Amino acid sequence: MPNNFALGQENLWSRRQLLKLGLAGAGVTGATALLHMLNAQSKSIVKIPPMEAIAPTNAPKNAANPMQVLRNFDYGTVKKENGRTIREFRLTAGTSIIQLNSAVSYNIWDLNGRIPGPTLRAKQGDRVRVLFYNQAGHSHSLHFHGVHPAEMDGVRPVSNGSAAIYEFDAEPYGVHLYHCHIEPVTRHIAKGLYGMFIIDPPKPRPPADEIALIMAGYDINDDNRNEFYAFNGQPHYYMDNPIRIYQNQLIRLYVLNIIEFDPAVTFHLHANFFNVYPTGMTLTPTHKADVITMGVAERHILEFSFRYPGKYMFHPHQDAIAENGCMGQFEVVADSKNAISTPKNSLQ
Amino acid sequence: MIKVRYIFLAVAACAIVSLSSCNAGTPTAENTGTPVANSPQASEAVSNNSHSGHGSKNQININTAILSELDKFEAKLAIPALSNKIQANRPYASPEELVSKKVITQEQFNQIKDMVTVQEVALTGEAKDVDYMSKLGLMKGHLIVAKELLDQNQPKQAEPHIGHPVEEIYVDVEDQLNERKVKEFKTTLVTLQDLVKSNPKAAKLKTDFASSMQAVDGAIAALPEAQRSKTGFVLQVINELLDSANSEYGAAIANGKISAAIEYQDSRGFVTYANQLYKGISSQMAKDFPEAHKSIETSMAELVKTWPTAIPPAAPVKTPNDVTKLIKTIEQNSQTVIDKSSTQAQR
Repeated sequence: MPNNFALGQENLWSRRQLLKLGLAGAGVTGATALLHMLNAQSKSIVKIPPMEAIAPTNAPKNAANPMQVLRNFDYGTVKKENGRTIREFRLTAGTSIIQLNSAVSYNIWDLNGRIPGPTLRAKQGDRVRVLFYNQAGHSHSLHFHGVHPAEMDGVRPVSNGSAAIYEFDAEPYGVHLYHCHIEPVTRHIAKGLYGMFIIDPPKPRPPADEIALIMAGYDINDDNRNEFYAFNGQPHYYMDNPIRIYQNQLIRLYVLNIIEFDPAVTFHLHANFFNVYPTGMTLTPTHKADVITMGVAERHILEFSFRYPGKYMFHPHQDAIAENGCMGQFEVVADSKNAISTPKNSLQ
Repeated sequence: MIKVRYIFLAVAACAIVSLSSCNAGTPTAENTGTPVANSPQASEAVSNNSHSGHGSKNQININTAILSELDKFEAKLAIPALSNKIQANRPYASPEELVSKKVITQEQFNQIKDMVTVQEVALTGEAKDVDYMSKLGLMKGHLIVAKELLDQNQPKQAEPHIGHPVEEIYVDVEDQLNERKVKEFKTTLVTLQDLVKSNPKAAKLKTDFASSMQAVDGAIAALPEAQRSKTGFVLQVINELLDSANSEYGAAIANGKISAAIEYQDSRGFVTYANQLYKGISSQMAKDFPEAHKSIETSMAELVKTWPTAIPPAAPVKTPNDVTKLIKTIEQNSQTVIDKSSTQAQR
């Protein structure tokens, strides 16, 4: 059986698909995908509007800072060992407090002082080395989604005050996650021990304004139900501080649903449709939608661009969940001279 | 004609697949053993074995070692408070990071490099016993507070403290239990947890609880009595318990209020058991180390006041900072005792 995760496999796939397309006559989806790719590749720069990171509350220290989570990717410390690229990441579990609204503060477990933990990013085939240090009282662990040997699966407790090293190859490419796997896992995740883990394909995706959105819930009274929900840690944050994006700019959303206790939520984008790349494991979209259902730990890449300026909401269409904090909006800014041009997002 | 082309394509595709997977060094289904053998953990484990085969010094994992184990470096290099400094600079990707993180100099590192590792090593000797007893001590702390809550008719609050010994700790001592010929008691703990969850009013709860507590006590009793009554040994266990209690207490308090009852209770249980352990060695301490004893006894009495009841009080008695200070005082004082007893043991 051929190995589906082998490097270089993707080239083969696209060649096969091209052949198939050629034989079958270019289908509508194929043609749009092709056009889309050509378009995206001709744009070598990505435009991102300037944005101030506004602290969610006036609290002196808040572990949640959604603006920081948005476009902040941790590529690790790159080393070369025996001719291989090693990406070394350091994650420390600690305890901190977040202000869910003006009246409610809540104790969480943080990773590197933040919730969600850093968005770790590697390229398929890199060796990933994660140094995990537990300073958060209980035993904790880091379990990574992806393919790796059993010893690296991160289900073994790492006791308070000690550290563990997880090392594995980054495969397969896609948008994945990591989280603590100590029981009750619901509590350990809901209290903050989770983050996104992106593995880029060998040939990078076309340039885009890349954004990470993680949906999570807070069970503040230990009744196994969520009282609050949030994108990137802070309830309602992006409603008050819309995510600014440029008109006609390709937006690539990495969306993860890590809401415990609710079996599934959707992700809905107003006034638009997005291309869906399930689990980020394809280079061509499988379909278009304006709402996509995601079970716990499900994640996808969604791509779109907005034709008209203005403010557009996004939220799970379980509206009660949206109303309790999992709600935000994009502010589409007309293309102008104020645009900051940044080189395409790529691995160093 | 087209068929032939397809076959040719398919053959070529297979060839490319197998070639590319070879190039990438990606394991195929046929040789699944490769990634494990490739991982440094596995290969290091092998070399560790060969090291011990030579009868060379035992290596210490600077990422996981308990303070008293790290004291071996402190003793060798004669750097005061080095153990704490090593702990504070965790995690280490490699032993050399002791130098790059400026914990010690290259010259100092050269003196200890054979003893340092970041790979998992099997603990031996006293360190292994301290680790074993500390983990059982944490279980005991959880159960102590669970019992208090059950007695106050609070099964819902007691439940996590019955669950945590299994969920967070048991797997970590499982191998040791086998080695030390202690009968498994996971089943006992899980049965108790099931009962508390589903039928907390059952009369059987009392007996089930008693057998869980007995099981943990029995596992502790697998350590020789002489070991368990040695001041230096018990103090190491106490420090481990207090260290966890410290983190848990910090996790319980938000904006000057106790907002996470579970973590408050965890820390209460750990401190209660640490205090019990200290009572067991206090007369010995008073005799052999009067000064350290006085300081530890006072701090411990002060520390215990932080948790007046199993159900958290409306306002915290002490701030996490105050608790940290008291625990540090106990740790520093016991360190002198531990150092003396471990150097005695080595000679």
